[in-house]
Amino acid sequence: MTKSSPSGYTSLLQSIRAHAPGEHQGADLPLRISQERAEAMLHVVHDLGGQPDGPLDKSLHTPAYWEKCTHSTAECLAWRGVWVAEERRRRENDLGETIYFGTPYYARWLLAATKMLIDKGLITPDELLEKMEEVRHREEGAA
Amino acid sequence: MSKFNVGDRVTIRDLPPLFHTRTQGYTRGRTGVVVALRPEWVIPEDEAWGRYEGRREPFYMVRFNQRDLWPDYGGVAIDTLETEFSERWLEPAANASPAAGNG
Repeated sequence: MTKSSPSGYTSLLQSIRAHAPGEHQGADLPLRISQERAEAMLHVVHDLGGQPDGPLDKSLHTPAYWEKCTHSTAECLAWRGVWVAEERRRRENDLGETIYFGTPYYARWLLAATKMLIDKGLITPDELLEKMEEVRHREEGAA
Repeated sequence: MSKFNVGDRVTIRDLPPLFHTRTQGYTRGRTGVVVALRPEWVIPEDEAWGRYEGRREPFYMVRFNQRDLWPDYGGVAIDTLETEFSERWLEPAANASPAAGNG
């Protein structure tokens, strides 16, 4: 999808409404919420035990190339002492419920790693955006 | 030096969850039996927040009766679940006598 035209941006906004239906409140109101609601909001997103779900998809999945690269990158970052698996899991939670449940398993790894590298000052967001743009051009040229 | 031994009945502390946890909500406040001791390791509360050389504690494998975890559990009475906790999440069970069906 191209976002370079006004209609492209409008369709992006419609897509956001369809895929990120989080409950939105006007401004920051109400100023108080119930204890019950606070406890529900603070429940940790990966702590799923006992929540209704299913049926479980038990089909075997052959990892895609990008998934293997993501896993390798995460392990290499750990090998170089930049993070550990437990920090990755915490950072996946920090993505928030909409992204956590709205993205594939390894996309969460990738987003967590990206944000960690920016948080720790190992890369800057602008250099990453330039790199993403460079790769996009390269891939489009190759296609 | 481990505070608990295999066979001890322990209750999981019911602290509020915040941002990240390795202590499942369904185990909090529930009582089980220590079935194995695990080596000391850095607690998740440190590892998850970048303190890789943080506080080290013994970990314990605790076995629960499924019927103690889920009020409407539909399986048989001998079904159990085992999971691990760092020492700070455990306290001695109020009633120290072994529960029927456990262990």
